[in-house]
Amino acid sequence: MSDQEKEKEKPNLQVAPADLAHATGTPLPAGRPPGPGEDGTAQYFYGEALVGFDPSEITGNLIVIEGMDGSGRSTQIALLQEWLESEGFAVQTSGLRRSNLVGRDIDELLAKNAVTRLTLSLMYATDFFDQVEHRVLPALRSGTVVLADRFIFTLVARGVVRGINRDYLNGLYAMALRPHLTFWLNVRPETAFAREFKKAQAISYWEAGRDMSLSHDLYWSFIRYQTMIKREFEVMAKRHSFIELDGEASVSAVNKQLRQRIGEQLGIRATKYTPSAALAHLWR
Amino acid sequence: MLAKNLMENQDIIQKVPRPEPGKSTLPQPGKPVPSRAYPGALIVVEGTDGSGKSTQLYLLKRWLEIGGYRLHFTEWNSSPLVKSATRRGKQRRLLTPTTFSLLHAADFADRCERQIMPLLQGDYLVLADRYIYTAFARDAARGCPGRWLRNLYRFAPVPDITFYFRAPLDVAVHRILSGRPKLKYYEAGMDLALSYDRAESFRLFQARILEEYDKMMDSDNFVVLDGTLPVNKLQKQMRDIVASKIDLKRFAPGIPAPE
Repeated sequence: MSDQEKEKEKPNLQVAPADLAHATGTPLPAGRPPGPGEDGTAQYFYGEALVGFDPSEITGNLIVIEGMDGSGRSTQIALLQEWLESEGFAVQTSGLRRSNLVGRDIDELLAKNAVTRLTLSLMYATDFFDQVEHRVLPALRSGTVVLADRFIFTLVARGVVRGINRDYLNGLYAMALRPHLTFWLNVRPETAFAREFKKAQAISYWEAGRDMSLSHDLYWSFIRYQTMIKREFEVMAKRHSFIELDGEASVSAVNKQLRQRIGEQLGIRATKYTPSAALAHLWR
Repeated sequence: MLAKNLMENQDIIQKVPRPEPGKSTLPQPGKPVPSRAYPGALIVVEGTDGSGKSTQLYLLKRWLEIGGYRLHFTEWNSSPLVKSATRRGKQRRLLTPTTFSLLHAADFADRCERQIMPLLQGDYLVLADRYIYTAFARDAARGCPGRWLRNLYRFAPVPDITFYFRAPLDVAVHRILSGRPKLKYYEAGMDLALSYDRAESFRLFQARILEEYDKMMDSDNFVVLDGTLPVNKLQKQMRDIVASKIDLKRFAPGIPAPE
């Protein structure tokens, strides 16, 4: 990505308060429960430290936006990126199936539907860590704000509803970075269905959880599947201190709440923003 | 003749009866599969490159094939689903210790879910050239945390016998270097930056792997065999152990699987 090269040239703009705490090794900030029996690595990871990783190098911020398909994640991320760039922050994005290593392989596996749940889960984990190591960490080292369009939480929820042991998945992602902020755009599955249908005039096999044989009716399959996912999110929301936002509110209202909270994290005082002409169509 | 010999052997481990139908014995990630929770049997070989394990497993397989036993042979790193990703990752050197490990786990999970477990449940003898201990040794040598690796492979059934072919570093390294024109990048452990020289890097990497294997000898009940012995002697030992530990007549031709 050419964005990445641009970012490297930008100076290190700001160190957020949370990062200072990290750098000096002060106790964990509230709302970040330490990993099981871990030392300083618990500030950055859920369990084990990533191989060859030096925590003192982190100067950027990792901000995660979670939520089901149709919750408005990508819209909000596009707007946040523009806002942050207008405030002078370098931004990098990440998301599922975007790794150079296996992103396209997963697309193929999904298209062929010839893969078992555990293999798929591990391919997603490979995709996730490839992006962490080759995209997220380099950005965080250079003081960039990383906006993650979904994170381990979606991957854990998808695995759990398919019967993969929750502890197993937590262990798998023990080396995942802890986000500085995790937002959950919570919407009702019915709303998500309507939005998704409007977007593509169709609902995909995987979004509807058709592999789980929940219903032959596409609508009910989608609703049941997304309800199960949502229930998993409710469990994780408490444990991982999600900032829950009402994803059914207007784009501008959700965006305002996001800007306020991110502004606090990055030390941006005035969080006024109106999208440029290029993004004005999103502002409804 | 062969089967008769085996049946005369008194020291046979009893199998637990086949579980009730409808009750899944598929391994749940997170819950280790107790050994023999399925009617089949799993024999694996482990050891560093050049320890002689593949030759020995091949001969064991021939012995059982000629005897007509129901068996399936599976190799490490061979799932067609994951193959293109692994090849690309290696060619372009995109792999880190973490993604190297995960990609191999995905490959193994695919074989485990689609071959190994169904065949063990279908009362087959499954022979595996390398198993999860290869990942434990090799990925730990690359720096992956042991606890994370153990969790990663929790879904794998525990083998009935794990043969560990132990050969001194010099012997094993010499066997590989004399027979192979060029070592590949990851094979030689070049990603660890141990040495600029491929042969030297390979040697240092193999030393680390050997160390990791040795750590597992007791905790994972390895049957340790001396990889420097003559091939036929080693094979005799292997066959005797298999015959004594596994109720081979269950897999013999003409005898239907027990109810």
